Parts: sequence; C-alpha cells; structure tokens
Amino acid sequence: MSRRPPRGEYIETDTGNKVARKATLVGTQNIMLGGKTVIQPEVMIRGDLIRSIQSSSSSSSSGTPNNTAVAIGRYCFLSRASCLRPPGRLYKGAFTYMPLRMGDHVFVGPSSVIQAASIGNHVHIGARVVVGEFAIIKDYVRVLDETVIPPNMVISSFSIVAGQPARVIGEVPEGGHEAFELRDLYKTVGNNPQPAAS
Amino acid sequence: MSSKRHSILPAVSAGPKPPVQFSSSITIADSALLTGTNLITISSESVIHPRAKLDSLAGRITIGRRCVVHERTMLGVLGTSGKVTEQAVTLGDYVTVEVAASIEAGNTIIGEGSTVGVGSKIGAGAVIGKHCTLTPHTEIPAGEIIPDFTVIYSNGMKRIDKRGVADLKNKGQARQIDVLKRMIPSTPAKFT
Repeated sequence: MSRRPPRGEYIETDTGNKVARKATLVGTQNIMLGGKTVIQPEVMIRGDLIRSIQSSSSSSSSGTPNNTAVAIGRYCFLSRASCLRPPGRLYKGAFTYMPLRMGDHVFVGPSSVIQAASIGNHVHIGARVVVGEFAIIKDYVRVLDETVIPPNMVISSFSIVAGQPARVIGEVPEGGHEAFELRDLYKTVGNNPQPAAS
Repeated sequence: MSSKRHSILPAVSAGPKPPVQFSSSITIADSALLTGTNLITISSESVIHPRAKLDSLAGRITIGRRCVVHERTMLGVLGTSGKVTEQAVTLGDYVTVEVAASIEAGNTIIGEGSTVGVGSKIGAGAVIGKHCTLTPHTEIPAGEIIPDFTVIYSNGMKRIDKRGVADLKNKGQARQIDVLKRMIPSTPAKFT
C-alpha cells in the first residue's frame, strides 16, 4: 500500500522547478520557467500581461504566435513577496506589454518589483529593489538593497549599483564571479531541503 | 486530472463585503480584494488589477474615471494615525497607483492625473495635487499637502514638472486602459 507523500510547501515539477503553493502566478501558460528555478511564497508573476500587437510576419508564418509574457532561465531564485511584471509602453500608437526575459542564476531579493525588459545571467538583486520599466540589466551585476532603477536605464556587465536613483558605485572584482552561482541555494529550498554547503 | 489551470491564485480570507457602486465600464479583476463596511465607488473605465486591496473600514473610497490600480496596492489602510472619517480615500481621474503602494485612510486625496510610484506610502490626510509624479518608495507623511505638478524623487527632493504633458499622459492612459480591458477578465458582478 503506497502512502501519498505529505503536502509540502513547494510543488516540484519534472524539470526541477520548485514553485511554492502560496505563490500567485497569473496567466501561467505565458510564463516560461527554465528549470531548477525556485519561486518562494507570496511571489506574484503577471503572465496575463502579454504583447497585444503581433507583427504581421509572425502571424502568417507561425501557427500560434509566441505569447510569452515572462521567460525565466535556469537556477533562478525569486524570494518572498517579489513581483515580476512585464513592462508596458506606447509602441506605434498603441499601448502594449513587452516580454520580460530573465537569464540564468538570477537572484531576486524579497519584496522587489521587477519591471525590466531584460535581465542577464548571474545577476543578484537585493531586497526591496524597484527595477523600472524597460530597464536592461546585463550579466554579472549586483544590485544592492533598496535600489530604485529608473525606467529605461541600461546597467552594463560587472557593475555594482545602489541608490535612488541607481548609480554604478563599483565593479565586481575578478574573483567575485563564483558568488553569483545559485546551484547551492537551490538545494537548500524545497520539500526536502539539503543543508547549505558550508 | 482537471483541465490545465490558468492561474495559481491562493485563496485570501476576506472581511465584510462592502456596498459598492460600480460604473458599467470598469475592469475589475476577479482576485481584487474589496473589504470594509463603507461605500466603494469606482467610476467609469477604471482598471483594478488582481490582488489590489480596497479597504473601506475607515471610510468611503472613491476612485475617479480612468484610474489604474495595480496589484498588491492597499487603499484605505488604517495607519498609526488612524482616523475614521467619512471619506477615507479619494482618487481623482486618470490616477495611477503602482504596485505595492499603500494609501492610508483619513481624507487622503490624490489629485487628477497623478502617479503614485511603486511601493510608495502615503500618510493619512495627505493631499496630493494634480499631475504629480511620486517616484518609487516615496513616503509622504500624514497631513502633507503637495502642490500640483510636483515630482518627488530620491529621498524627498521635490521639483516642479514643467513639461506640460498632462493631456498627452491622459491620452496615453486611456490607450493603456483599452488594452487592459481586453487582458484582465473583469468580474464586477462578484462584488455587487
């Protein structure tokens, strides 16, 4: 006789994504999770804000137009109460939302609001950060706590940004690349957490 | 297994169901939270995103025409200076209240066309003028009066917005609302 496993706090998918039961995901068919991503409770992802204008070439060649609202890479970590929201703007006379693309190994701190257009790989975003609409964050960036990144800002790779409005206050040192890896953090979360590697 | 779920929205416990007065053309998401005992009025073509919380325990809430209230906002919170007045929160026309902003109750008035930035906190009784821009994480103390066309940025600095784009912003907001109407499934009947 098999016993059903007790209901854990997280739902673990085949691809290794760990989604908390208390997370709010709106429009899940438009949210792409890369794999081995952790979504903590109270996270809100707006997948219903999809692109409303489809260019004419894509609708004639492909059967179903690509409706991704939020695309997240591998080993990402979305902390409690953070909010991912596609940015929207007036494009060619009509208002439309653009997809939010996140790379791999992105850590989003608690209570942050991300409305960027794209975030690169190995980015560490602190707590209570606000990333304005259509900001572009490149790879290996560290955003410190409580930063406010204004709309349309481009943050180049290997920078450390802080402040309100965000300014580049330093650069990631040569040996600092390992600190951005999130594989160990992924193992410490979930229904069967492994202790953190010391 | 049932058909594919479209959203994962954990249930939230609600308080008393408030009397509401909706215009016919509003868009209000299914998972918006309306609680309280006083009247909540939402005028024509306004949009309430999911998980926005409108609490009318401390007084009536009036939302103007073509407003956009984003998710995780809290309108009508009883702050530390909790006053119970007749009119808790008033939003003028074309106001945008962004994600995680909180507006305390107590005759708080947001003027026409203003934008309350992400995560801002507006104290009880504050009066925000018309076409103001409050950048993210702004905190307005209770009772403060902000003149029209002010921009409040980085830790409380203020300047006057001289761009003269008020009409263009209103038109842009109207276009945004047209698109949001199609995207957010609206269920006003749930709250009446």
